[in-house]
Amino acid sequence: MYLTVNEPIDALVIYRRGSPHPHLRAFRWHDRRYDVTATHLVHCEREGDTVDLVYSVTCGDDTCVVRLDTDRGRWTLEALESTD
Amino acid sequence: MPRVIMHVDMDSYFASVEQQARPSLRGKPIGVTGRPTEQSIIVAASREAKRRRVWTGMPVWEARKVCPEIELVGGNPERYLSITKEFIEILKEYTALLEIYSVDEAFLDVTQEEAKHGGAVRMAAEIRRRFREKLGECITATIGIAEGKTFAKLIGARNKPDGVGRLDPEEMAELLESTPIGDVWGIGPRITARLNRVGIRTLKDLGQASEHYLKREFGIYGLHLLEVGQGRDSTPLVPYTEVPAPKSVGHSKSLPPDLRDFRLALIILRDLCDKVARRMRRLGFMGRTVHCGFRIGSIGPHYGKQTTLDLPANDGEVFYKACLVVLDKIPVKPEQVSNVGVSVGNLVPAEGTLCSLLETDRRREQLNAAVDRIRDRYGDRSIRLGTSLLVRPIPQHVGGFFMASDDLEVG
Repeated sequence: MYLTVNEPIDALVIYRRGSPHPHLRAFRWHDRRYDVTATHLVHCEREGDTVDLVYSVTCGDDTCVVRLDTDRGRWTLEALESTD
Repeated sequence: MPRVIMHVDMDSYFASVEQQARPSLRGKPIGVTGRPTEQSIIVAASREAKRRRVWTGMPVWEARKVCPEIELVGGNPERYLSITKEFIEILKEYTALLEIYSVDEAFLDVTQEEAKHGGAVRMAAEIRRRFREKLGECITATIGIAEGKTFAKLIGARNKPDGVGRLDPEEMAELLESTPIGDVWGIGPRITARLNRVGIRTLKDLGQASEHYLKREFGIYGLHLLEVGQGRDSTPLVPYTEVPAPKSVGHSKSLPPDLRDFRLALIILRDLCDKVARRMRRLGFMGRTVHCGFRIGSIGPHYGKQTTLDLPANDGEVFYKACLVVLDKIPVKPEQVSNVGVSVGNLVPAEGTLCSLLETDRRREQLNAAVDRIRDRYGDRSIRLGTSLLVRPIPQHVGGFFMASDDLEVG
């Protein structure tokens, strides 16, 4: 089931030396912590001067699309695809 | 010294990127489409879908017929472009002689570099390994290696998907004999039909054809065909650092069946003129020749004409007025239009071009500059012509257009 969410989240990331983008390790949404078990794809989307990084990640049984607005440092859970 | 040309071709590119992003799509026949309607077409099919005889360009209804379980996925051009930039960055590390041929294809001249990588085949294997590490296991590439671009592309196609093929000189005779001319890059169905009519069916036949005949029929391109038929291809690489200036700038848009009203087509045309003008200003050009055309029905006919402006321009309003003049010259006045387009040619650099002394023109220049600044900062969707919001269905249905929120639409 593919669910469009578009809600702000708190994110836990690490910055690796030489890596072009922060690595998303976990995020919190609706008082639940989602630990990232696999990152499938990270791509850039540009709107004017603003560059967003879009992460396709798996957290347990869910596949999530998470967006980082690099201009404002704001994280958003965009969509969630769950296996049930 | 013979050249060593590599052709890098991403396999089922858009579909592979979607499968990489969404693991639930992996191993399934999927089709990337422009719009979620039956009238849309399959822009890219996954390799699983290709095995079920779903092809690029196939209408969605037909794809569903040949493969009922096909999963349709809306295309995400920004995602593909972003991944393209990543794999191009990897290729740039191998040679400066890199031609970016399309969003999913590139040519590399590695004549000087192959030795230090242990040969071209090992180099190709290394590139593919780096693609896998950087982009993910679903996004694979096939690499063809030969002395010319045409043969690199041909040998790559024979090793798809996820393979490497090198054409050795001793294999050339067999290749020429076994390759139908229609399989060759640059020889489309029309040229194939013309050549077939005179008994030319394989590359070998082409190489034995009369130079006089090929030159008469196809002009200078005929000589290239003869060269390819004889197993040679000297087509130069166009490195990304030396991309020639554009000869024209244009945009067109196809309309879905329920939105083919001519009045709607004019509103879209106004937006397209704006888009063309914006691109020209960004590229630093002005143009004098405005070509406008439209298509009636899904497969034609197409009507188009052009007009020449008194002075070069890069203003959407000027182009739109020229388009209206052009449309007046076309005797057909359809009620329904399936595709509309505009292109501007006869380009000159904007810098150094005489500007109009009229106050109204200078104010429009200032207005365009201000709009460009807003769009540069906040994106192309941030400021739009009011006319494009007049008709509610356009933003919601026409692929590529801004998804306007309801409160902006006046019905």
